Amino acid sequence: MALPQDALWYKDAVIYQVHVRTFYDSNGDGIGDFRGLAQRLDYLQELGTSVVWLMPFFPSPLRDDGYDIADYRTVHPSYGTLDDFKLFLDAAHQRGIRVVIEMVLNHTSDQHPWFQESRSSRDNPKRDWYVWSESDTRYRGTRIIFLDTELSNWAWDPVSREYYWHRFFSHQPDLNYDNPAVRDEMWSVMKFWLEMGVDGFRLDAVPYLIEREGTNCENLPETHVVLRELRAKLDEHFPGKMLLAEANQWPADLRPYFGEGDEFHMAFHFPLMPRMFMGLKLEDRKPITEILQQTPAIPENCQWVIFLRNHDELTLEMVTDVERDYMYDEYARDRSMRINLGIRRRLAPLLDNDRRRIELMNGMLMSLPGTPIIYYGDEIGMGDNVNLGDRNGVRTPMQWDGGWNGGFSAADPESLYSPLMLNPVYGFQAVNVKSQQRFDHSLLSWMKRIIRVRKSAPVFGRGTIEFLYPANHRVLAYIRKGPSETVLVVNNLSSSAQAVELDLKQYKGNILIEMFGKNIFPRVGEAPYLLTLGPYQFYWFRLRRI
Amino acid sequence: MPEGSILSDDFLRELINVGEVDILIGVPTYNDARTVGQVVQAIRAGLLKYFPRQRAVIINADGGSKDGSQDLVRAASISDISHSSNLNALRTLHCISTQYSGGSSSGNSLHLIFSAAELLRPNICSVVASDSTSIEPNWMEHLLRPIARDNVDLVTPLYTRHKFDGLLVRNLAYPMTRAIYGMQVREPFPSDFAFSGKLGSHFLSQDLWSQDSVKSGAEMGLTISAIAGGFRVAESFLGKKSRMDHAPADLVAAIRQTAGVLFWSMDGNFSTWSKVADSQPLSTIGAAPELTLEPLRVNRKRLREMFCVGVTELEPLLRSIVSPATMDELKRCSGAPEAEFRYPDELWVRTVYEFAASYHESVISRDHIIQALAPLYRGKAYTFLSQNRDASGEEVEKNVEALCMTFEQHKPYMLELWNGRK
Repeated sequence: MALPQDALWYKDAVIYQVHVRTFYDSNGDGIGDFRGLAQRLDYLQELGTSVVWLMPFFPSPLRDDGYDIADYRTVHPSYGTLDDFKLFLDAAHQRGIRVVIEMVLNHTSDQHPWFQESRSSRDNPKRDWYVWSESDTRYRGTRIIFLDTELSNWAWDPVSREYYWHRFFSHQPDLNYDNPAVRDEMWSVMKFWLEMGVDGFRLDAVPYLIEREGTNCENLPETHVVLRELRAKLDEHFPGKMLLAEANQWPADLRPYFGEGDEFHMAFHFPLMPRMFMGLKLEDRKPITEILQQTPAIPENCQWVIFLRNHDELTLEMVTDVERDYMYDEYARDRSMRINLGIRRRLAPLLDNDRRRIELMNGMLMSLPGTPIIYYGDEIGMGDNVNLGDRNGVRTPMQWDGGWNGGFSAADPESLYSPLMLNPVYGFQAVNVKSQQRFDHSLLSWMKRIIRVRKSAPVFGRGTIEFLYPANHRVLAYIRKGPSETVLVVNNLSSSAQAVELDLKQYKGNILIEMFGKNIFPRVGEAPYLLTLGPYQFYWFRLRRI
Repeated sequence: MPEGSILSDDFLRELINVGEVDILIGVPTYNDARTVGQVVQAIRAGLLKYFPRQRAVIINADGGSKDGSQDLVRAASISDISHSSNLNALRTLHCISTQYSGGSSSGNSLHLIFSAAELLRPNICSVVASDSTSIEPNWMEHLLRPIARDNVDLVTPLYTRHKFDGLLVRNLAYPMTRAIYGMQVREPFPSDFAFSGKLGSHFLSQDLWSQDSVKSGAEMGLTISAIAGGFRVAESFLGKKSRMDHAPADLVAAIRQTAGVLFWSMDGNFSTWSKVADSQPLSTIGAAPELTLEPLRVNRKRLREMFCVGVTELEPLLRSIVSPATMDELKRCSGAPEAEFRYPDELWVRTVYEFAASYHESVISRDHIIQALAPLYRGKAYTFLSQNRDASGEEVEKNVEALCMTFEQHKPYMLELWNGRK
């Protein structure tokens, strides 16, 4: 299958996020690898995946799940070889699946040779590749991100007897992007992978590239200069490739990362995700509509990326204190579920394994403006294990079947990179791909259907959104409109049945066609269009003038 | 209006959109544009501050205002529809308004609010007067929290009041309710109060709503219904109570709403009140209320004159209501020179009990009985004002307490009258 040639392919995509370590172990060593991932591409194709986003797979001491990179130009030996990666990449492309990889620009591992050189002496040529200081008082206005573990953004280096700057863990020194040599080298790294054929990068932690005294060292204009430089080189040498920004910021602060369509192609919409959970629990659309009202317009060639869960905690940085307290009380009453400023749980447990709520949340994910990401395992309703420390509880092995190690690996269970889920509700014998493939009504089968329906209507990826604001605040209704099609989406956020009257006067004369069953609903007239919805029910209607 | 329903179709549609709530706040209005905006904003601020997670609605029952009162209530809504919503609010706050039919009356407005509550199933309800201009956001905390936290069913208010404010309550409604039903509810006819959804449902099922003569005293009816029904009642101190100046109150209407409802309630609750021998204080949330003493001009002379005229002109009617001994004493009072005029507590208590018994017997039209009480009450009010003209707050309280004790001590007389032995 050929890859679609449309330059805006990322707008129509459904992204599947996976860590190679977690997916399938082909050689029985207890760790997922690229050969294993390649063997499971048929599964991803069947699901409807159009892009696989791979989390860091580079050599690393793995003190931050691979976000502490020690070598940017090869593959961690646990996951295979560079050739294995190429094999996987080609196999994905053959199935029409693009591959986006992680690129951690902001920092390296302290084990990276660059840092080892840099710290070796104050006059080493690579000294200026990192941010050093004689005191730990510079950039005082900068917040600490990992509040649970870090006391300062500076760490003392006993070797060269100076402090180095780190926005994340102290073993992740920040690169110095004021140094042109660093910028050149990082572009060289990206070029290395682009030439191999990867289709884009998720650029990690981009707001923090540059530091300036008297600022909060986030989203600085100088950072945007660096990013625009990278984008210009990408467009010049590798047209059709994509950059995705990871910047946990408010929409207004995120907007500059799109530039004039000359910076990032896509950026995560972080504040939307917690508000979807909040809206569901409050049974009130207000949090969702408000954050989307505040979301600025972005250039035509750009796109938001939206998600329900990912490999990190459900971040609550982009909510008010009142909202954060509410989210903790409702979704993480047990304090062990909390980490940093967020909640380390997967989708199904967050929603009490309630199939109706899981479907509704996925329904919104697939129909709100943006490109959706599915976090591996959420398509079958995998659970989490908060006892595993850090965020490892949401990074357990993929559950393929009810057999040995859940079909993930032939290794002894003790040698798996992480324990499998074993409990009676979410354990691999209860929740696995194989059992769900057998039934049309399984969550997996339902996920395949909704992805298929979404992909049948490009308006979801490219259309505008117009909220309808019915007087019933428990109902979230919107029109997705494109040049050739119009879709009405109606979501009941409530646990009880609801009646709603929609003002559809401007669509008078249209017939509503329900997009899953293709059933016809009454024609729209002058009067408010009355719909009734069961608990957590949603409708997607195609509006047709026939 | 659909036949047999107090709720219009449009209002019902609004209630459907609101859906089930945790908290319902009712605000009755009738041409209250001068004050209702401030009141509703304080309610909204209180809900946001103290109950941000609860599903809440403010319902305005309007008696036909022409001054834009309803718009002021609606403007307090928090929603995504207006695009100017409060970003600090977690959820939507509906502020809806409807006009009821049948003319402006507190009974009609409360009937509508209770009916709406029955459909929206709140756990906690409150009614706040649209002219309570001294309202602070913490009123919501003080009124609602006892119900949310302590499973109280009715929260009546305590205010810092002037010593001459609320004379009818101090001289009749409070002491008699206390003596008859055994609970020391200082404000049995509250304009700001809160109640549980359970009590709301119970009260809505009472037959008070079908009787126009007593419906207007629904606030009093609710208090009595809560006590007689064995619901938990508490008082909460709200602070200063100041209201806009109104035209002089219609005393007969006020007596109808208080004594009328009290007398009426005794018919249906005899088995309850007949067993009550003394009274119990309520649990009180917040500080003890204080009386303010600033000078106040009251036309006492006019009160005494109206008492005297009433006793004379209504003598034939009064003779059918009160005992000959009471009538003789009333005449003696009315004939006394102004300097010596005094309507003693014991005579006042006996008078009121005899009126209650006559109301029970329906010796004449019940409404005529209520109307006949008005001039006599004026005599009692005159006495209260004279007695307490130079009194401190403590002394006023002591005098009120003495009256209450007189009501309680004479409760056996009330029972004898009721049983026809007198």
